[in-house]
Amino acid sequence: MEDSPHSPELFLFLAVTAHDMKNSISVLSGTLERLLDGATPETEKAYAQMGQMLYQTRRLNDNLMQLLALYKQVGKPGYPFDAQPLEVGQVVEQVVALARVLLEARGVQLELYVDPDLIAHVDEDLIVGVVSHAVNNALHYTRDRIRLAAREVDGELEIRVEDNGAGFPPALLAAGTPDGSDMGVNFVTNSAGLGLYFSSEVARMHHHRGRHGAVRLENGGLLGGGCFILTLP
Amino acid sequence: MIKPAAPPAPADPASAAIPAPPAAPAPALPKVLEQIDWASKHYLIVDDFAGIRQLLRESLRSLGARNIDQASSGGEAMNLLNKVRYDVVLCDYNLGEGKNGQQVLEEARIRQLLLPSSVFVMVSAEKSVESVMGAAEHQPDAYLVKPITEGVLLSRLNRVWRRKQIFRLIDQAFVEKDYLRAAQLCDEQIATNRVHVIELLRMKARMLERSGQPARARMVYEQVLAQREYHWARAGLGKIRLADGDFEQARQMFQTVIAENRHYIDAYDQLAHAYQGLGRHEEAAAILERAAKLSPNSVPRQRNLGQAALKLGNVALAEKAFRKCLVIGEYSIRKTPDAYLGLARVCGLKNNTKDALQLLLLAQRDFGSEHDDMALRAKITEGLIYHESGDYRNARRAGDELDTMLGADPKRPGTAICIEMATLLFAVGVKETPGEVLAHVVRNNHDNNLLQDDIQAIFDKARLTEEGAAIIRAARKEAVDLMNQGVVLWKTGKLPEAVKWMRMASERLPDNVRVLFNAVQITISHMQQCGYDEALEAEARTLLEHVDRLQPGQQRFAQLMEQLRGLQPKPEPEPPAVVAEGEAETPAPEPVEPSEPAATPARNNRFS
Repeated sequence: MEDSPHSPELFLFLAVTAHDMKNSISVLSGTLERLLDGATPETEKAYAQMGQMLYQTRRLNDNLMQLLALYKQVGKPGYPFDAQPLEVGQVVEQVVALARVLLEARGVQLELYVDPDLIAHVDEDLIVGVVSHAVNNALHYTRDRIRLAAREVDGELEIRVEDNGAGFPPALLAAGTPDGSDMGVNFVTNSAGLGLYFSSEVARMHHHRGRHGAVRLENGGLLGGGCFILTLP
Repeated sequence: MIKPAAPPAPADPASAAIPAPPAAPAPALPKVLEQIDWASKHYLIVDDFAGIRQLLRESLRSLGARNIDQASSGGEAMNLLNKVRYDVVLCDYNLGEGKNGQQVLEEARIRQLLLPSSVFVMVSAEKSVESVMGAAEHQPDAYLVKPITEGVLLSRLNRVWRRKQIFRLIDQAFVEKDYLRAAQLCDEQIATNRVHVIELLRMKARMLERSGQPARARMVYEQVLAQREYHWARAGLGKIRLADGDFEQARQMFQTVIAENRHYIDAYDQLAHAYQGLGRHEEAAAILERAAKLSPNSVPRQRNLGQAALKLGNVALAEKAFRKCLVIGEYSIRKTPDAYLGLARVCGLKNNTKDALQLLLLAQRDFGSEHDDMALRAKITEGLIYHESGDYRNARRAGDELDTMLGADPKRPGTAICIEMATLLFAVGVKETPGEVLAHVVRNNHDNNLLQDDIQAIFDKARLTEEGAAIIRAARKEAVDLMNQGVVLWKTGKLPEAVKWMRMASERLPDNVRVLFNAVQITISHMQQCGYDEALEAEARTLLEHVDRLQPGQQRFAQLMEQLRGLQPKPEPEPPAVVAEGEAETPAPEPVEPSEPAATPARNNRFS
C-alpha cells in the first residue's frame, strides 16, 4: 500500500500470516459450532467448556479482525471503505447467525426489535463486525438476556445492544461518551478499549451531509444493564 | 436513511425473540430460506487450504447439499468449470501459484462457463480494493471476508439469490444488448422493489448510457445524488461530461470522487482520460501510475499505463508496466499482445533489437491464432523499432515485407492500426500502398472530419499534399455514393435490391458505422414489409454487434436492436401482414448529405 510506512516484505508477511490465522480461526470456530449444535448439556459432559471455548475463539477472531482493520487504517482515507444501501434486517440476520450457537450454549435469550422497513447505508463487513462484537461483549456481562434493537431516530439509524448484567464500569462509560474520543483508554489494561475504539472509528467513517456516526455507552436501558448504542446517519 | 414505501414481509418484534435453549430451533432465519432449494444445487469450492474446503463442505452439507466439488487451485477450478455448470461457486481470492480467484472469475465469465443464474462468491482474507464497487470490471455476485461462518454464508447466499431473481430479466436483456428493454425493466422493478432501488437506478443509468441517451442517464445520476453522495453516480456524471468533451468539468468530478474515496479505481482511469483530453499527458500517466499501485493486478490498466508512458517517452515506466502486464497476464484470459508489442518497442528504444524481435515472435506464437492481424502488427512494430534505432536499411526491408503482406490479403485492420501502418510505410519510403490504406480509413470514416485532417497531415508530411487531398476526396465520395444509392433504392420501394446493395456496401466499407446502421435499417424495413426472415435477422445482428464494438453507446444501435426484437415472430406465427406502401410508419435509413428531395416524408417518424 502506497502510504504504508512499513517495508513491503513486512506487509506481505503480515498479510499472509493474517490470512493463515483467519483460516485457522474459521475452522476452529466452525468445528466448535458444529459440535455444540449437535449436543446438549445432557448428552455432552463438556458442553459448558465447549461454550467457553467458542466464546474465546470469537474473542480471538474479533480482536484479530479489529487489529487488522486498524492496521489497514480504518478511519483513515486509506481504508477501502464501501458503504452500500442494505436492509437493517440483513445486518441483524448476520449478527444473529454469528451469535446463535454461542447464545444457546450460554443459555442467553436474544430479543430482537428491528423495524423491518429500515434501510441503512453501511460498510456491511465493518458494521456486522461492530454489532456482533457488541453482542459478544454483552454475552459476557449479561445475566440471561440481550436485547438487540434497531430503529430510526431523528433521521438516523440507531442500533442498541442492551443486557441485564451489572453494566459497564465507570472508566469505560467515561470513554464511551461522545466527547471521549480522546479517551485515554489504556489498551494494555483494558482490552475492551480496543473494541470501543474500533467501533467509534467505524461509526465515524459513516457520514452523510456533514453528520457522522457515533458510538456511546450507557448503563440502564430497558434491561437495566449495559447499553451499547451505535448511531449512523 | 430511506424508508421504503412497500415494506418487505415484516417480522413482529415480539415474536422475533429467540427462545432460550434447549428448545431452540434456528432463530430469525429469513423466510426465503424455506423457498430456496439449496440442497439440490451443484456447488464448487475453490480454496488452497484443505481445512477451509472441509469447513465449507460441512456448512453446505448442513444445508442438505449433495453435489459438492472441490478444487485446490485456479487451474483445477477451470477444469471443473469446463465440465460442469455449477449453481454456486465459492472461490478464495488467494490461491497460491497460478490463477487467482479474480482470474478464475474473469475466465469463467468470458468463456461463458457460468450460467446467468450461477452465483459466484469471492472469499478473501481481508477487505480488498477490488471489492470496492467499480474496481474490477468483472464483479462476483458477493464478497465474503474471512472468517467464514455458516450463518453468514447462508445469509449472503440467500440475499444474492433474491437479488438474482430481481435482476434476472434485466441481466438477460443486457447480455442480449437490448439496452432499451433493460432500462424499461429497471423502471418496472423500481416501482415494486424499494430495497434495490439504488442499485436498479445505477443499472438504469448504465443502460441509458449504453443506448446513447446521456441526457437521461444524467437525470438518473442527479436523482441518486440528491439522496446521497454515491461515488458511482458522481463518476457517472463525470463520464457524461467526458463524452461531451467537457474535460475540465469531468476532471473536477473525478477528483472529487477520488478525494472522497481513494479506492474508487474507475475514477482514476476516467481522470486519466480527462487529462488526455486536456492534453496533459504527463498527469494522465501519473494518475494511471497511482491507480496501478492501488490495484496492480489488472492487465488493461498496466497496458494503458505502458502505452501512455511510451507516448511520453518515459521508457523506464513503460518497461515496468509492460513487464508487470506480462507477469499478471500469464494466468489471465485477458492477457494481451499489446504488452508484447509495447515491450518490444521499449527494447528497441534501449537498442536491444534482439530481445525486441524475440518478443515479436512470441506475440505471434501466443496470439496468432485468435488475432488475425497479429502478423501485420508484429511487422509494423518491427519496422518502427528499426526506424527508431536508425537502421533505415532494415526498416525499409520490413516496410517492403509489410507491403507484400498487404498485397496478398485485401483485409485491413482497424483504423488506429491502419494509421500507424501508413505512417510507418511513408517513413521508410514505400509510396503507393500507404495511400491505399489511408483511402480505406477515409471510406470507413467518411463523416469524421477530424480524422481526415489527421490523414491529410500524414500525406503532407510525406510531401504528397495534392495527391492526398485527391485520395481523401475520392474515398469520401465513394462512401457517400454507396450510401445514397441504397437510400434511393429504399425510397423507390425496391427493398430486395436495397438490401442487396447495402450488403455489398457493408462488405466494401466494413467499419463504416453509418453504412452499417443503414444496412440494418433497410434490412428491418424489408422484414417489416415482406415478413420476418431468420437469416436476414442474423445478418443484421452480426452487423450491429460489429458496430457496437467499433463505437459503443450509439443511440441508433439501441433503437435498431429494439426494432429487431419487435420483428421476432410470436410463439404462433401469423402470416406476414401485407402493408400497403406509404401507409406504414416505416423507419427510414438515414440519408447522407442533403440529397434529392425526399419522396416520402419518412424522416419525421424515423424512430417512432
